[in-house]
Amino acid sequence: MPRRSIWNGTITFGLVNVPIKLYSATESKTVHFHEVHMRDGAQIEHRRYCTKEDKEVDYDDVVKGYEVSEGTYVVLEKDEVKAAAGDRGKVVHLTEFVPAEEIDPVFYDRTYHVGAGDDKDAYRLLHEALKRSERAGIGRFSFHDREYLVAVRALDDVLVLHTLRFHDEIVSGDDLELPSAGRKPSKQELQMADRLIDALDEEFDPEKYEDTYRDAVLDLIKRKAKGEEIDLTEQEEPEHGDDLMAALEASVGSRK
Amino acid sequence: MARALWSGSLSFGLVNVPVQLVSAARDLDYHFNELHEKDKARIEQRRFCKEEDIEVGWEEVAHSYDLDGRQVVVTDEELGSVQPRKTRTIEVEAFVELADVDPIYFDHPYFLVPSGESEGTLRAYRLLVEAMEKSGRAALGRFVMRTKEYLAAVRVRDGALTLTTMLFHDEVRPTSDVPTGGKKPSKKELDQAVALIEELSTDWKPDRYEDCYRERLRRVIEDKRKRRKIEAPEPEKQPQSTPDLMAALERTLANARAGRPIREEPSEDGDRDELESLGKDELVERAKDAGVKGRTKMSKKELVDALSGD
Repeated sequence: MPRRSIWNGTITFGLVNVPIKLYSATESKTVHFHEVHMRDGAQIEHRRYCTKEDKEVDYDDVVKGYEVSEGTYVVLEKDEVKAAAGDRGKVVHLTEFVPAEEIDPVFYDRTYHVGAGDDKDAYRLLHEALKRSERAGIGRFSFHDREYLVAVRALDDVLVLHTLRFHDEIVSGDDLELPSAGRKPSKQELQMADRLIDALDEEFDPEKYEDTYRDAVLDLIKRKAKGEEIDLTEQEEPEHGDDLMAALEASVGSRK
Repeated sequence: MARALWSGSLSFGLVNVPVQLVSAARDLDYHFNELHEKDKARIEQRRFCKEEDIEVGWEEVAHSYDLDGRQVVVTDEELGSVQPRKTRTIEVEAFVELADVDPIYFDHPYFLVPSGESEGTLRAYRLLVEAMEKSGRAALGRFVMRTKEYLAAVRVRDGALTLTTMLFHDEVRPTSDVPTGGKKPSKKELDQAVALIEELSTDWKPDRYEDCYRERLRRVIEDKRKRRKIEAPEPEKQPQSTPDLMAALERTLANARAGRPIREEPSEDGDRDELESLGKDELVERAKDAGVKGRTKMSKKELVDALSGD
């Protein structure tokens, strides 16, 4: 079954207009629970209450308030918040292109798959040109009344759109105020560490890493469903070795 | 320094480095509270039992999972018992080339900072930073934070260990049902498109891009506070399909090379350019001369459209 697109619009690249459809590229597989009342197992409902009147409030009577100082709010109607969305509409103008590998992983936020809209030839042209140039197009994108910085690039046979964090949202190493580092590692320690890195070096294969916690939670649910008693003992923590060199040697030794 | 979200150790072979996790992304968004329109009092969410229609305290709330239509109730203690192997440890399982990990996998960025200032900890931390920086590789490992397991890539950024949480492979959707197609571009078209990309290429300089949305929202709040009128701008119209890709590429490239805005149509439409340079009053005058109806209620753009015959 074809996926449902979540946004239809146009990517432009100069005077070339590429109609597109967006699809989410990811889906969380975290085990989700819903809240129930312990006593009778009935569903829990969240209701909005006015803290002053102690009365239930209908969603239509709710407005957004920005707190400018303690207890003082600037009230915005839902339409007024929308005014901040800007005039971008459903168009992403790619105004410049950057080498895709220059964008540090810390900038990437969400990813969407970009599908071809009505003009498939234009889509194919943009895809092949981005692929051949190994560049990502940078532009801005409005979604649910919020504007994002985005990078559009070729991935296999499709285009993907990544929302990016803004530079001031990224914490730099200088902001950390790390305690001044300890003694400089000896040549020997560095060599051992290198050998350990080499011993663990491999090609990235995402399928090697399963979410074992998710499996364990699902297993717990199944055992609980069968009426099993659950063992609540905690697991032990690993010990911290003090002798760095000895630990490195033992690690490399155990990998031989 | 930022608040530690997790503390434990990074384990690399038999070397354990006590570390703390701090966020490497800050939330600069404007946040709103829900208020009751009538009295501007804060709204709070209260939990009610749907069956009994009475308010329920959070200590009376349990988690339930729908197992093939059957409700299985699980307590917090039981959930706490399913911690796989070592929960307070990020165990390095492999070192990989960072460039081989597609950005689609990256989720949230953090820093790993040494926990405490003991000589042993700082030395081990520094050794990892130096060895990893030299190798240019990223370490992959898994760890549990609150009630979720994360796959993470650890590498060196700005002289510190940086950790980026990643999605698991089954959380990335396949691309097979994404519509593509179209005819293969001709060599000439592709060459022109690549030439255009190269013409518009620059280095990635993140500080060139500001969050205009945040700034506009700040202005909306300010305007509202000063009781100024807030008007939503007219959203840009959906552009038409490009009838002739090659011609569009050539015109764009000509614009880019001449330093003109890349979406500027060449001035066969000189009239329009001239009209756009006029003030609104002048446009209304001209519309009057041309007998355009409804001119006083038109926006500047509508006036230009009407006068240029578009």
